[in-house]
Amino acid sequence: MVVESVAVLDLRNLAACEVELGPGLNLLWGPNGAGKTNLLEAAYMALAGRSCRTRDDREAIAFGKPLARAEAVVAASGQRRSFLCSVSRSEGRRHLLDGSAASPESAALRPALAVFMPDRLALIKGPPAGRRSHLDGFCAALWPGRTETKRRYSRALAQRNALVGRIRAGAADPASLDTWDHELATAGVELIADRREAAELLAPAFEQVASDLGLAADASLRYRPRSTAADPASLAAELAERRDADLARGHTGWGPHLDELLLEAGGRSLRRYGSQGQQRAALLALLFAERRALLADGRPAPLMLLDDVASELDSEHRSLLVEHLVEGGGQALITATEPEQLPRSAQRHEVAIRAGRPLTAADRGRIRGGEAAA
Amino acid sequence: MYPQPIERLVTELAKLPGIGRQTAQRLAFHVLRSEDADALALADAVREVKEKVGLCEACFNLAEGPRCVVCEDRRRDRSLICVVEQPADVIPIERTHEYRGLYHVLGGALSPIDGIDPEDLRIAELVDRVGADEVTEVVLATNPTTTGEATAHHVAELLRGRVTITRLASGLPVGADLEHADEVTLGRAFAGRQSVG
Repeated sequence: MVVESVAVLDLRNLAACEVELGPGLNLLWGPNGAGKTNLLEAAYMALAGRSCRTRDDREAIAFGKPLARAEAVVAASGQRRSFLCSVSRSEGRRHLLDGSAASPESAALRPALAVFMPDRLALIKGPPAGRRSHLDGFCAALWPGRTETKRRYSRALAQRNALVGRIRAGAADPASLDTWDHELATAGVELIADRREAAELLAPAFEQVASDLGLAADASLRYRPRSTAADPASLAAELAERRDADLARGHTGWGPHLDELLLEAGGRSLRRYGSQGQQRAALLALLFAERRALLADGRPAPLMLLDDVASELDSEHRSLLVEHLVEGGGQALITATEPEQLPRSAQRHEVAIRAGRPLTAADRGRIRGGEAAA
Repeated sequence: MYPQPIERLVTELAKLPGIGRQTAQRLAFHVLRSEDADALALADAVREVKEKVGLCEACFNLAEGPRCVVCEDRRRDRSLICVVEQPADVIPIERTHEYRGLYHVLGGALSPIDGIDPEDLRIAELVDRVGADEVTEVVLATNPTTTGEATAHHVAELLRGRVTITRLASGLPVGADLEHADEVTLGRAFAGRQSVG
């Protein structure tokens, strides 16, 4: 599965342009403000159908333009498919696969996406909710058949919280909580087991990559569930014990919706005590650990979108980073201000970007005056 | 805008599910243009369904009279009760001609978000039926959704120890190709696989 090209129209500072990508490492380089990160965002938008940088996709539209568009061509087993995302000021967002509306199932026809951007550091230093949903997303990528567990848990939680509210208001009988405790516990025990299994797959790779990238040698990743219940009946009993507190609080204060994916270095939480550099390394290590776990399971490598990863690493760690990227194949898009920032590797495709216009090596030879074809 | 009687018809039609004002107007003008007999047949049909169809006093299925056709049928097995959410759920089960027992229509599923508590469903009536009649098995056929599963669990807890309680299996649709099954259904089918040898 290879992303062959990304075409962009009026996305932030990128006007109309198309970039061809190589099957391995792609280095997007140019001075600050040239539009390197915007090109990463364009690749993400085209494939995922939304921006990886902002919730309001309209922010991605270039000033004074009515709409932004990003299109990626994905080749897999001899077939080419076009993923297109457009954001219009008047009509909002559309995501198309070969011209018709993309469905959640169309994600199977493109590579999974792993994004490293400064905005994504919130995953490491933000509250646990972000890490939980990231872990759930990884579970969904590993086991598509188990996605219903999370949905079922969320629905049961919403129902139980609604019931707690109704009991507080005197509109419902406290005894009716039994039913929803059972429903919540049934889905909850499955959710805890899935997350634990996923975290156990990730932990060894996380420790290895974290140490390779210069984060502490004793970095660790582990899932820390609140409840240690092994079966629905015990989790339901734990919920029943805390019922009075829930009724006082007005919502459910126990269960896997409050669990933590703990990332530590030297026994201390990276979220609270990690330096900026350590947090960046931890995010990279997490992405690489997921990549390894997917590869080990025989899945295609995710497309790695890495913004400015090289700047804080010394040359030895940069070489190790490239080794990890090349291992197992798969594509990566990396931005850098200078091409020398990344050590040479066997398969490397360079794209130079200047003031919102990418110039490929071929273009530079073919087109006089260095102007890229739009 | 329209003469008052047309406006009234449009307003009434627009209350139907899936009918917006535009469609309601189209339907109203269609009624206006159609033969008197056809239009009045529609009005009559609406009146008749409201006058004649009620709920069965035993199982709360739709009924013409005090009891529904299933409860009236002497050949049905009175030791079996199949519990469903809505009267509409009876029809697909009846179409199978596999089930020969009686029904019990709850009238919905537990959903605190929508303010539906056990008292809003016909659960107490089901418990009474199980206590009074010669019932030996209750089949829970509520939908395989969060609310349906919770309702099934709630009913099962109330009847536990009094009768045999079973739940419909979930898995693959028969006759369809495996490649078209969604991951969740296929995952459930795997979890519920059975030994054949």
